[in-house]
Amino acid sequence: MDFNENLPIYIQIMNLLKSKMVSGEISGGDKLPSVREFSKELKVNPNTIQRAYQELEREELVFTQRGMGTFVTEDIEIIKMLKKNMATNVVNNFLMEMKKLGFNSNEIIEIVSEWVEKEERE
Amino acid sequence: MGRYIKYEIRGSYKFILGVLALVLILTTGIYAYISNAREGSALGATFTGLSVLVIFGTLLTTFLYIVNSFRKELYEDRGYLTFTLPLTGNQILGAKLIVAFMWFVLLGVVIAIYNGIMVLSFSPVKIKISELFSMLKNMNIPYRELVVFGLTAIIGGVSTLILIYFSMALSRVTFRNKKIGGFWFVIFLVLSGIVTYGQVKVIQLLPYYLDLNTFKIASSHMLSYGFNITINNGGLIMNGDLGGTILNIAGFIYSIVIGVLMFLGTGYLIENKIDL
Amino acid sequence: MKNIVEINSLTKNYFNKRALDNISLNIEEGKVVGILGPNGSGKTTLIKILTGLLRQTKGEVLIDGHQIGVYTKSIVSYLPDRNFLYNWMTIKDAFEFYKDFYTDFDEKKFEDLLDFMKLEKSMKITSLSKGMHEKLNLTLVLSRNAKLYILDEPIAGVDPVARDQILDAIINNYNENSSMLITTHLVRDMENIFEDVVFLKDGEIVLTGNAETLREEKGKQIDDIYKEIFGE
Repeated sequence: MDFNENLPIYIQIMNLLKSKMVSGEISGGDKLPSVREFSKELKVNPNTIQRAYQELEREELVFTQRGMGTFVTEDIEIIKMLKKNMATNVVNNFLMEMKKLGFNSNEIIEIVSEWVEKEERE
Repeated sequence: MGRYIKYEIRGSYKFILGVLALVLILTTGIYAYISNAREGSALGATFTGLSVLVIFGTLLTTFLYIVNSFRKELYEDRGYLTFTLPLTGNQILGAKLIVAFMWFVLLGVVIAIYNGIMVLSFSPVKIKISELFSMLKNMNIPYRELVVFGLTAIIGGVSTLILIYFSMALSRVTFRNKKIGGFWFVIFLVLSGIVTYGQVKVIQLLPYYLDLNTFKIASSHMLSYGFNITINNGGLIMNGDLGGTILNIAGFIYSIVIGVLMFLGTGYLIENKIDL
Repeated sequence: MKNIVEINSLTKNYFNKRALDNISLNIEEGKVVGILGPNGSGKTTLIKILTGLLRQTKGEVLIDGHQIGVYTKSIVSYLPDRNFLYNWMTIKDAFEFYKDFYTDFDEKKFEDLLDFMKLEKSMKITSLSKGMHEKLNLTLVLSRNAKLYILDEPIAGVDPVARDQILDAIINNYNENSSMLITTHLVRDMENIFEDVVFLKDGEIVLTGNAETLREEKGKQIDDIYKEIFGE
């Protein structure tokens, strides 16, 4: 995996896992790869993985069972919340960019609905 | 250090065995030619001459090969392995020295014994080994002199080797980034000159000798009458007319001290001064 | 946390130039530290001092609390940036050599790594390609359970496959009780395995710190910081 964003690696790893949780690629109760395995897979320092897992745990998205590993939360509400937050972020960024380009709110809505219609037709 | 000796031998034994085989084959050829040739043929003479030259050349090459084992550590990438081993500079130097000395002794002894065998097997008169031994037994061999002579020869040989290593290390330190092929040899010649000069001076200043027959100390005043002596090993050993062999005490100690100092100096240089 | 390496006001002068200028640096146990800088920045001089190939002009260098010497050499596993094995050796000879000289050498680890690198014990050192050399050297160096690994440009000049194998081996070898000091100018390929980074420029430390913290502070990857500092 390439880490190209201007963010610390652990945040990029968190984001990677979050989008997997939201998209359903990994679901509630699934075991995450061990720190060592994941570190090998991503070619990243194990302490960085450790930190990503700790931060995810702080956000209550994962939990650790001693001697068993790290698991994705079984609380669907938390995942839903995450999904909503991530969507909010995407929309916020989108709106910000569009406003930079000089579109007002109505114009943006127009463009978006045009796109959605076009995609549905295809 | 023993472990390092092991790998030092493993790295060079093939070459040494090859040299030995070559020299022994050529020697056999020479003996066979000499004993069979009734009248000298030009071809045979050329062969003998060439063989002698090849033997001489091979032994010189071998000498350089053996002493170069130390120099290679200073100039080649292998030094990165050798000098990061958990060994002191003195241990590495000691191992190199022991193996080099061992090879020289081995080559010398094997070639000497082989020549002896050749003489025996090609000589027109057949000598039985048992007769040879009884002959040796009946001869009055001066063991004590032989031992001391051997000892001074060993000390001399080892000191020379140490001086060579010291010269190589010094050459490496002096010209940090340049590889000047034979410069160590110039340093070696100069240092040998200085060391020998020092030895002569020491012997002149402290002319006390150990008589090897009586183990009494004699001074040159006692020897001054009938000063009929032959000098060996830079004046270390003399054959005076007062009795058997005598050994200059100060000179003997001097050569040991110089050897030890050069050894420690080389160890210091490779541990502290050399930048690979 | 305990420091495995302590460097205090280290200076190294050659006859006419200053290779290291008053460097102070501590390396904690269990850390993977990247020493970053172009050629001539002093990386190699620093490593040579740590491995005992060179003496400093001034300052103090301690590894595991000891001055550089036989003890530190016995706990430091060093990968030089060149083919340091003896030419007469086969891989098997090199393996025995390491086993004989280093009490921390782990035979099992060696066999596994050799397998992983797809090397055979019967191969002769002189017949190996550049990439194979690098892999063999790393195999020997990582097969020791050393307290400190010093890897000098471990992926320079090797093909992408070998590079991945080498990175995998380095990550696999990670453990909390030993530290790694890795020099490189190929920052992009290696930065994710560093916990701390040290930027060396003209013999001085111009920037050092936790890699993630630096990414956060500067808003860019270590490779970009490197380009900024050294103006590539």
